[in-house]
Amino acid sequence: MRRAIQGQEGLLFILPALVFFAVFVVYPIIYIARASLLDWNGLAAGTWVGLDNYTRLFRDDPIFHKTLRNAALWTLLTIFPQMFIGFGLAVLLNGPILGRTIYRAIFYLPAIVSPIVIGIVWQRIYDPFGGLLSDVARRTALPWLSQPFLADPGTATLATIVVNVWQWTGFSMLLYLAGLQGLPGEVLEAARIDGATGLQRLRQIVWPMLRPVHLTLILLGLIGALQTFALVFILTRGGPNNASQTMPTYIFQQAFQLSSMGYGAAISIVLLAIALIASLGQMRFLGSRFVVGQGD
Amino acid sequence: MNAPMPVPHKPLPAREVWRRIATQALVTLLAAFWLIPVAMMISVALLPSSARESLLGGLIVLQPTLANFAQVWQDNPLPRFFLNSMLITVPTVVLVLAISSLAAFGFSRLRFWGSGLWYILLMLTLMIPIPTLVIPLFQTAKQFGLLNNYLGLVLPYTALGIPFAVIVLTSYFSGLPRDLEDAARLDGCTSFQVFWQILLPLSWPAMAVVFIWQFMVSWNEFILALVLMQDEARKPLILVPLIYNGVYLSKPGALFAILAIITVPVVAIYLFMQRYFISGLTAGSLKG
Repeated sequence: MRRAIQGQEGLLFILPALVFFAVFVVYPIIYIARASLLDWNGLAAGTWVGLDNYTRLFRDDPIFHKTLRNAALWTLLTIFPQMFIGFGLAVLLNGPILGRTIYRAIFYLPAIVSPIVIGIVWQRIYDPFGGLLSDVARRTALPWLSQPFLADPGTATLATIVVNVWQWTGFSMLLYLAGLQGLPGEVLEAARIDGATGLQRLRQIVWPMLRPVHLTLILLGLIGALQTFALVFILTRGGPNNASQTMPTYIFQQAFQLSSMGYGAAISIVLLAIALIASLGQMRFLGSRFVVGQGD
Repeated sequence: MNAPMPVPHKPLPAREVWRRIATQALVTLLAAFWLIPVAMMISVALLPSSARESLLGGLIVLQPTLANFAQVWQDNPLPRFFLNSMLITVPTVVLVLAISSLAAFGFSRLRFWGSGLWYILLMLTLMIPIPTLVIPLFQTAKQFGLLNNYLGLVLPYTALGIPFAVIVLTSYFSGLPRDLEDAARLDGCTSFQVFWQILLPLSWPAMAVVFIWQFMVSWNEFILALVLMQDEARKPLILVPLIYNGVYLSKPGALFAILAIITVPVVAIYLFMQRYFISGLTAGSLKG
């Protein structure tokens, strides 16, 4: 901004963006903060109940506690596998490979397909009656593959997370691939001459140099994990018996299926607080950014 | 975008040749494995409705048929849903491009009161989980008669899309040389003329990134569409499988044909524009 033009004209240029921000982000948040203090079915006027919704959430709602645990699971078990597998794929594709563009498109493909389509296909993969895994189990010596993964409370969340990892690993790969191609060639060359093996080079030089990419992926992955709705909705509806319920699916259930708008609003505020604190904390203390290596 | 393949002047040592063959085989194997669900979407769509048994869950179809596609196309107003998706997605993309490029010009070229603060505030949007906005957006849409109205989705999608577009465009604008603009200013051009006549024509690579990204995000957005579009005639394509999940429970072939039809447009757009997308995203963001 060295030679930036002075004056207030700039405000005019950003005004439309700010208006959208005020109307569709700021206002809804104020609205929902107020709604979270009501006992409200969404139709009649609500009754003021103060912080009752929040006390109920934290003190007496085991389903909400389950969504908190699932949020932690989702965050850890999507972010890191997506990073490690994505990094591995990027390293492979960065080597002398024929048809790199095609492979890259294949691994990224799931990220552009609707999660609803993906969910229905994976339902059939997991289906214990004639699904892909159960058919494989019948033909091989792997009977454990034939389980009702989505219908078993013990595996429902994990089975959903696996689908998410499959869908988004290609995105990590794309960013790592870009990061690898931006690394100075001399660094890798020097390490090679010193006799470092390929794996050592990856671990000690390449991985640390890609720190900006890791940080961006952790930040995006965190927000993505906290707002997962479509996959869970289509695969398990949060079931069985709320085992795979996430905060977003629980908001939907309370607000739109049980007509507890006030209670749903309180869950929304908690989710919002978690997301803001966690992402601002990352940006502040780790220096994470939304786009790799960029000023904001 | 693609690192140039090292061209060997001498024949490679045998060990290196084997290493390359092994890597190629490994990547091919992984890619094939990765494609299984996509392959399954297509193969099940080819499953004859008379088939009682399927091999590997329908991954292998012995007598493939296109009858499912004909049937679902005939029985359902799929072009109508497709049109709905377009009527939501295209205006969103246009609005995001227009509003964000203006804002990015302001942030990258003009100095004004609170510019840094406004920028950070806008970026806060990216940290807000969309499901937290569902209740207020539903209630206010109801209040203003925007339920089952395309605008009811276009406007919030635009608001949610602006911040990422502003990042991409601001960073791209900041990297462009300013000599031409300075000259234009000396000739008496207004800021808007500089923006419209000089900066915009130069920034199509970044605009392409925003276009593709926003198109895919709006096309695939689910929770707001689910809540705000309850009238069947206005539903976008993404909600269609929910309508038919029950109806076609006993006809997986028909259901999967619908899934395949829904998926084709986005994949086509992506494959058609992936060159711009990837080069723009990576070049623009990494240099920054």
